[in-house]
Amino acid sequence: MSFWDRVKPYVMVSPSITVFLLFFIYPIMYLFFLSFTSWNLISLTKTFVGIENYVELLKSPQFHLVIKNTVLYTFLMVSISIGLALPTALWLNKRGFLHKFTQGVIFTPHIISLVSISLVWMWIMDPDYGLLNWVMGFVGIPPSKWLANPKTALISLVVVGVWKTLGYNTLVLIAGLQSIPKDIYEAAELDNASKWRNFYKITLPMLSPSLFFLLVISTIASFKVFDTINIMTQGGPIDTTNMIVFFIYQNAFDFFKIGYASAAGVLLVIFLGLMTFIHFKLLANRVHYR
Amino acid sequence: MEARERVQQSLRIRKKEGRIENSKNLEILKKGAKGLEISGLIILILIFGFPFLWMISTSLKSFSEIMIFPPKWIPDKLMFENYIRAWNSGPFLRYFFNSVLISISILILQFATMIPTAYAFARYEFKLKKLLFAITLLALMIPEQITFLPVYLQMSSWNLLRTYAPLILPFAASGFGVFLLRQTFMQVPDEIIEAARLDNASEWKIMWKIMMPMARPVLITFALFSFISQWNSYFWPLVMTNTQSLRTLPIGVAMLKDAEALTRWDTVMAGNMILIAPMLVIYFFAQKQIIKAFVYSGIK
Amino acid sequence: MFKKTVLSIVLATTMIFTMIGCSSSAGEAGDTAAGENKKVEIEFWYSLGGDTGNFIEAMANEFNNVQDNIKVTATYQGDYYENHAKVMAAIASNTQPDITMVEIASIAAFADAGALEALDEYAAKESAGFLDDYVTGLMSNSYWKNNLYAMPFARSTPLLYLNVDMLKANGLNPAGPKTWDELQEFARTMTKDNVYGFATPIDIWFYEALTFQNGGNILSEDGTQAIFNSKEGVEPIEFWQNMIKEGSMKMPPGEKYNAWDVARQDFVNQNVGMIFTSTGSLKGLLEQSEFEVGTAFLPAKKDFGVPTGGANLVVLSKSSDEKKQAAWEFIKYMTSTENSGLFSKATGYMPVRTSSINSAEMEAFYKEYPQFTVAINQLDYAKRRPMAPGYRELQEIIMKEIQRAVIDDTMSPQDALNTAAEEAQKLLK
Repeated sequence: MSFWDRVKPYVMVSPSITVFLLFFIYPIMYLFFLSFTSWNLISLTKTFVGIENYVELLKSPQFHLVIKNTVLYTFLMVSISIGLALPTALWLNKRGFLHKFTQGVIFTPHIISLVSISLVWMWIMDPDYGLLNWVMGFVGIPPSKWLANPKTALISLVVVGVWKTLGYNTLVLIAGLQSIPKDIYEAAELDNASKWRNFYKITLPMLSPSLFFLLVISTIASFKVFDTINIMTQGGPIDTTNMIVFFIYQNAFDFFKIGYASAAGVLLVIFLGLMTFIHFKLLANRVHYR
Repeated sequence: MEARERVQQSLRIRKKEGRIENSKNLEILKKGAKGLEISGLIILILIFGFPFLWMISTSLKSFSEIMIFPPKWIPDKLMFENYIRAWNSGPFLRYFFNSVLISISILILQFATMIPTAYAFARYEFKLKKLLFAITLLALMIPEQITFLPVYLQMSSWNLLRTYAPLILPFAASGFGVFLLRQTFMQVPDEIIEAARLDNASEWKIMWKIMMPMARPVLITFALFSFISQWNSYFWPLVMTNTQSLRTLPIGVAMLKDAEALTRWDTVMAGNMILIAPMLVIYFFAQKQIIKAFVYSGIK
Repeated sequence: MFKKTVLSIVLATTMIFTMIGCSSSAGEAGDTAAGENKKVEIEFWYSLGGDTGNFIEAMANEFNNVQDNIKVTATYQGDYYENHAKVMAAIASNTQPDITMVEIASIAAFADAGALEALDEYAAKESAGFLDDYVTGLMSNSYWKNNLYAMPFARSTPLLYLNVDMLKANGLNPAGPKTWDELQEFARTMTKDNVYGFATPIDIWFYEALTFQNGGNILSEDGTQAIFNSKEGVEPIEFWQNMIKEGSMKMPPGEKYNAWDVARQDFVNQNVGMIFTSTGSLKGLLEQSEFEVGTAFLPAKKDFGVPTGGANLVVLSKSSDEKKQAAWEFIKYMTSTENSGLFSKATGYMPVRTSSINSAEMEAFYKEYPQFTVAINQLDYAKRRPMAPGYRELQEIIMKEIQRAVIDDTMSPQDALNTAAEEAQKLLK
């Protein structure tokens, strides 16, 4: 191997890696440093407090609730948005104008700013003037307060989240479906395999890279949810939609508890890193790469 | 090839036989299923389409019409002045220009950085590969709300705070893009590359003539996603800009809401339309492109 | 073909960096052009959007036109708390503005951190009685540890807004209820079908008001003790709880300003007959309501009582002396007798100068819109908002516990407030 051959990969990755180092890795390290200090953002000294921030965080019932909310939200988002996308993809993966058109329509929310989406859905979920209660009225479901009710606020955010991502997930899966070579099905048909068996033995394994991709992307995206919370619920009512990123942001920039917020940030980074790692380890073997 | 033809022939025969047997029952069943399917599709379209119609409708209503319940879909008089009021509430032309400039700059930079990176990750073995790929994944998952403070302080120490740099440079590389493109590159069968190597094709040639055409759909898709997400980006430009001349459309729209006065939903929705209309137009024209991209992403 | 692609990417990249460079130098070019007259340039960050924000911007422009020594650049930075965050981050990176708006209950936090310039000396150089002309009730949140740190600007109090037509239709006194009991009675009478008699956001500001009316307070006078879990602080919640339970009061859904917005929409839409909201909404509500809008004091329990609210103007301590002086000039302009009145007329916020309230122009205005006078008269009963560096966080905690008590009636108000007080003690240490 020549010198150039050995250096070449590094040269190729260096532009991206430089950006990542400067704007992601350095901030995380800085965060790590700040997490051991007490700082209000503007005092000249950052007092070293050791692991006090972490201890306080782990003792705080509010933080426990925030973690519980975040995990619950992520679980619901991932399972519902992928769980619905799979049948939708199987259903819409056909020729014909109406199917294509529907694909186009359900994808549309993905291109709209979350600011707009949050504003519209706040209005739709308005307990008094909202369309949602009006529509529910036809189906005979009693009106709900949606975002304002501690029991339904989190699920309301999930509804908005699923509404936004279902189309994207579906299109990714349709792309996956279409990359499955037709002859495999034809061969299976020769063997008189049942539809269910086809799905289980061919479609699902062949779709696994796409599903895996969606799983990773959705988990991360759900864990980072911020905009909808910030605009629609501000973490309320009574902290029922307070999730980790909002919690960090509020502590840092509303309460100016930079050290405390940084400690939560470090825990978030560790958790996200761990989760990605586990995903890769667990699924890498099962995933069918072509 | 021969085997495949034989398979298909026997399939055709079998299907024909089946069709003759239960054609009548099937016909009725199929019609019913078709009707059910179409109504299902229409419900889907309604669920995903009506908030947009509602947004358009609200943006054209007069203030008093907004609060009628049950809602009125078509306003008595189309209030186009809502759009004018929204547009004149700030330097919207500047916002618009900034949004376009920033989104496009980021897109170009991301392409320039992610193609070689993804290629290297997909096709080469090197010592630090695992570590560097882990860094890429980390970049993909770290929320902006965590990184912005250090980046802000850093930018200010470089005296770049009042330029476009804080809005563009942190996004000059995309962890998502690298990840996505690497997956694609990895799916290119080794035989194709080996064959090209045997033909004495240079690495460059392999990358540009074989890999890139295969990755084209993914690149188009990524381009759209990148542009769209930058266009819609709210948090980062809000915290990074302290002057009007650098701000983007989403911030202009969010500013239409006043905390202490009564929110003019008509104006806010008109602003919303100004924000999303370019996206809808692009989507309208590029939708075929996206779907085509997905359709041809399989390897023949 | 691929060479072309590479080339175009390189070209485009170069272009971008040139543009980045250009934009920054363009900004500087503008600066030097203005510098020819040796103008002092100062930056002003404000935190009110919509029409109010436009008016502030226009005032700043007018300031640039009427004098030659100072050039102000006014920039909107989001709502109160978004602006606070940006100011803090800017201070940390030495890119802070010279003057900004700070929500009045947060002044303690900013002053305590050393972010603000004490203004006593600037005021001392003005003519005798300069400070005395500022409305006393609006100055109480300007001091921290005996120093003056802020001048009142966009200031408000809570008002009781009345749908006068609806009151009359129900045979009620169009002047509105005077006491808590009357409020409840009026609300009961007006509640019909889909109409609620009364609504208020479950917000710290109104909770403060009711506690004051009940003779209590949130914090001890020196700001070190939480005293809201006393009987005076518990009764307001019981009052709300009671009215919500019997259905005469609507708790507007939504968090923070969202709930405020719902209350105002309900009022304009005649789904609610009476609401508590800020004077800052007066102009908008008068314009948008298709019925006669009345305003009244917040009803009394033991006495009338309200906190004031809104934002003050502050000068940042990190600015140069020259800029600080210029900022002070700008503050004087923004709060001058004439401008304070103009701002008040345009928005509903209160004039901050006694001379402005008494001016012929404002008197004529009050004759036409008596609704504006109520806020000013109510100032006689105004108390200052709690001053403690940790109050921003504490108010979130209190609001959360109040909500818990109001929404979930298994929780007693006393227990909820005791929980909040326990947390408060940690913050106030």
